[in-house]
Amino acid sequence: MTEVFVVGIGMTKFGKPPDRAVADLGTEAVLEAIRDADIDPRRIEAAYCGHVFQGMVAGQRVLAQTGLAGIPLTNVEDACSSGAVAIREASLAIRAGEHDVVLALGMEHLTTRFRGALTPAEDDLEASVGLTMPAIYAMRARRHMEEFGTTRRQLALVSVKNKRNASLNPLSQFQKPVSVEEVITSRPIAEPLCLYDCSPVSDGAAAVILCSDRRLRQLTRRRRPIRLAAAALRTGEVESGLPSMAFEPLTRRTAEAAYEQAGVGPKEIGLAEVHDCFTIAEVLRVEGLGLFPVGEYPVRLERGEADIGGALPVNPSGGLLGKGHPLGATGVAQVVELVRQLRGEAGPRQVAGARVGLAHCRGGKAAGVEGAACTVNILVA
Amino acid sequence: MSEQTTAAPGGTVPLQPGIFEADARGAPQLVGTRCRRCGAHFFPRRTVCARCLSQDTEVVALSAVGTLYTYTVVHQSTPEFPTPYILVYVDLPEGVRLLAPLVGVEVDQVRTGLPLRLRVEPVRTDLEGRTVIGYRLYPAEVSHD
Repeated sequence: MTEVFVVGIGMTKFGKPPDRAVADLGTEAVLEAIRDADIDPRRIEAAYCGHVFQGMVAGQRVLAQTGLAGIPLTNVEDACSSGAVAIREASLAIRAGEHDVVLALGMEHLTTRFRGALTPAEDDLEASVGLTMPAIYAMRARRHMEEFGTTRRQLALVSVKNKRNASLNPLSQFQKPVSVEEVITSRPIAEPLCLYDCSPVSDGAAAVILCSDRRLRQLTRRRRPIRLAAAALRTGEVESGLPSMAFEPLTRRTAEAAYEQAGVGPKEIGLAEVHDCFTIAEVLRVEGLGLFPVGEYPVRLERGEADIGGALPVNPSGGLLGKGHPLGATGVAQVVELVRQLRGEAGPRQVAGARVGLAHCRGGKAAGVEGAACTVNILVA
Repeated sequence: MSEQTTAAPGGTVPLQPGIFEADARGAPQLVGTRCRRCGAHFFPRRTVCARCLSQDTEVVALSAVGTLYTYTVVHQSTPEFPTPYILVYVDLPEGVRLLAPLVGVEVDQVRTGLPLRLRVEPVRTDLEGRTVIGYRLYPAEVSHD
């Protein structure tokens, strides 16, 4: 089967930029990805755009500004996994033999769309009794603490690590490290989670250009192409019975599909960008992915195993907690970071000797299912 | 409770369609789905059993008692929900886990394993002045009758 490579990456700074429309952010990311790939933009044959709240035909507005208008474009919505799903769709178009060079874009202008806590869809049953996204993760945190003895301090360390990493990333929303004390004394959002346990409201965009192995041979290449070895997507199953909320079967199933597709196991993963929308979320992700034993991540984290210099660096970019979380852009930005790391271009946050990277997203909530959309992308240098 | 709700000037509306059915006295009670083939229960109701995919299902009343599985105190929410409030997942004897607000208890008394009772009752007034009928949890030992 056709192999798929990432040949170009682009990303805006994440944050709350005044006076920048979403299409403007998307355009910046796309133009940078084209420059990075060093290709004639007319070679791009199709595009996929992940976003959540940007309204109708948001992707087409970017195409119009970048001069790519006319090619097939599909807007993709899968909550916080939207960008990662856009990458998967782009890779499928290449694997199917329909296209050779495809753009995947993710973008979100969240500051103009809502304030406060994000909820499931308004007509969702659980949203109608008061569920917010922080609340669901707070309740999962409570279970992890009860089942495995995880402490409040250990949870806070996720935020401390990721904001420290973010301070090494010029594109991050947070540029300053925080202490455990600052995390646990920040404003309560949904107990036990406080403000610094939650990813921020962010605007931003990220883009990647994918290419078939056939076309790769015809491109002039200044940079090392990184292979997209797996792009797995699963949806949450309907919950039956009373499963533990301290473990993620959905993440496990998606990871198993990705490992099989890539022909690698969790032991071969050298760094991971995982969906740390909340501190507890990083714990659940890495344990669900099989990167750390179930229930042990908080202790391993405390020992520094997930630090940039540790055995398995987690979220060296700063993650959602530090880099920011413009919903639709997040899954693409994770892949941008992995490509930078695998090329050896990550500067002060470079993970030494990284060869295989994993990106995980998990988005959305609907009453009765364990989660809506989960993705795992695996990249190999 | 039925007197109270029918007395509302704007009438009443369920929190979501299909979650209640009238009991023998005409009062709304929470209902879910039971699979006639494998016996699994679900809430909210559904046509196809998620466990065995049978379409031979029936609507059944759910237990009004359960055990607290996990909880949080919400301090930031949407304007519709004044904070703080307690949200819990309660495990019902049928094997259904349900999310609902917990009221009638001090926060420092809340713990996993707490026996709870579910009550169908007015929860708020909507923008059109209608009384919204929803459900809330109370500590099981507290009587409201």
